Amino acid sequence: MLIDINAYVGHWPFIQLKYNTCEALGQRMDKFGVDVSVISSMNGVFYKNTQSANQELYDELKASKRYKNRLIPFAVINPIYAGWRQDMETSINKLGMKGIRLYPKYHDYEITDPSLIELVKRARDMGVPVTFCYRMVDSRQRSWMDIDYVAYTPKPEWSMKNIMPIIKEVPDAKYMILNAANSLAVDKNDMETFKKADVLIDTSGRTLNDIGSLLKTQGKERFAFGTHSPILDYLTGLLRIESLRESEADEATKELLRSGNAKRFLGI
Amino acid sequence: MNINRRKFVTRSAVSAAGILLGSHLKGMAKAEGGEEVSLSKPKKYDLMKDVMKYRKIDAHAHIYFTNTSPEEQLDAGERLGIDKQVISRYLSIMPGTPEQFREYNDLTIKAIKKYPKHLLGGFVLNPHYKKESLDEIKRCTDAGMIGTGELYYQTKISDPLYYPIIEKLIDMKMIIFSHAECQLGVGGYRMKYNGNKEPNTSIPEDFVAIAKRYPEGMFQYAHIGGGGDWEYMCKMLKDSPNVYVDTSGSNNDENMIDFAVEQLGEDRLFFASDNSYPQSVGKILASNLTEAQKKKVFFDNYNNLLKKGGRNVD
Repeated sequence: MLIDINAYVGHWPFIQLKYNTCEALGQRMDKFGVDVSVISSMNGVFYKNTQSANQELYDELKASKRYKNRLIPFAVINPIYAGWRQDMETSINKLGMKGIRLYPKYHDYEITDPSLIELVKRARDMGVPVTFCYRMVDSRQRSWMDIDYVAYTPKPEWSMKNIMPIIKEVPDAKYMILNAANSLAVDKNDMETFKKADVLIDTSGRTLNDIGSLLKTQGKERFAFGTHSPILDYLTGLLRIESLRESEADEATKELLRSGNAKRFLGI
Repeated sequence: MNINRRKFVTRSAVSAAGILLGSHLKGMAKAEGGEEVSLSKPKKYDLMKDVMKYRKIDAHAHIYFTNTSPEEQLDAGERLGIDKQVISRYLSIMPGTPEQFREYNDLTIKAIKKYPKHLLGGFVLNPHYKKESLDEIKRCTDAGMIGTGELYYQTKISDPLYYPIIEKLIDMKMIIFSHAECQLGVGGYRMKYNGNKEPNTSIPEDFVAIAKRYPEGMFQYAHIGGGGDWEYMCKMLKDSPNVYVDTSGSNNDENMIDFAVEQLGEDRLFFASDNSYPQSVGKILASNLTEAQKKKVFFDNYNNLLKKGGRNVD
């Protein structure tokens, strides 16, 4: 079984995307053998009022009869925007969304913002995961209108160190980390907290090219298949798993990566 | 019991959903009304079978001055069915003196002599040192190298300093391969931004200029997946038929390969990794290219250019 924990529908304002509807994603899943995808609306990265995007996703799922039960929706919430508590409540309890995706850089707040801490604690108490993304697109191709966290400049893209402060603030929440395109290293003082935290990292990011070694240092429960579709190609995240040698990951470990870790994390 | 086919399919599918997803999604289906659902388990896709189906030449890879190189690169290639890798050790950010480029080329020579079945060598040079660079072309060719490796930040590919080098490479029917970027604030493109890169970084416009000056030259534009704006690259290079692009780089955007073929045609793409091996194969297999087009990109296009100089691998 294959569960993709990192997919989207919706638009990216600076480039035309293919396969960015529930229907098109579903066809992609069928073609490449993916059973279930965790999705959110990319429009929520850009709408000031993210709840409009969550509602759009809900409506699209309702209309996508062929695929809706294979798509697990997450809500995009901005914790410094009016009404976010109610939006979160509505998304989880009325729209059936199973987790939260957060975009501090795009929504312009700090990783230790009190509102974010409150949101993560609420998610923890509701039993749903929160998700952070290293980057949505490779910053070297960024549009002049995009955010200016750019690789190899004094204001670089994020790495795990940028996310660690919220994990320290709420160590007992469930965290998904997506598109790990940069370092997974944390400061020495944070290593114990990170080790104990319930953190699931998807395989779409380029840092996962050496997943064979990472399984040894981080453990086999830490990672799960993800595509970052439709921004990244649909197969590389899977190829990182399937090309592992037996000495690096036996069949049982590969099954954890394909779906076992995601099932445990999502409680399905 | 009178049950029509539609209802049967619906009920069976909902049941299958329950088995597949457990109570989690059954709850969601209920919240959404739980109406008609057609849920079929997708057919299994054998990714590794697809990977191994194609013979591959990696037109852009690197080795390093480490104890694990080039074995590390060979291992990465082997697991993805990459028969041959064209390796070099690029000059990075450094003056690129003759002593430096000879030392770097020596590393490549050593590797291709140790693994002649799997490694092809590309040499590096610096046109600021004309005589030494021309001498180095002869030395490296005599040692079995097939063309340039990734030429780097020292000089833009369109700089007149390159003319005598390029003329020599054209005489020898060798592929002229250079690093390139396409990013705000790099190499002359929208310099009100600061991309924090070397001033002599080549950009697509530099390839257009040099390819126009030398229509008989065979130019390889490095890594459309190198992180830059690949739509801009492909559109800029569209009307330069003697510029070939390699597909390497750590970025594996969906639609990159389809777009490149649409803009440049199926004969002007070289499969390559720049050591980002999973992305290099994944992005091509995920594309909508036909079997024949994939074969061209993975192997034939590059090999056909090698053939012009009698350096083909089959």
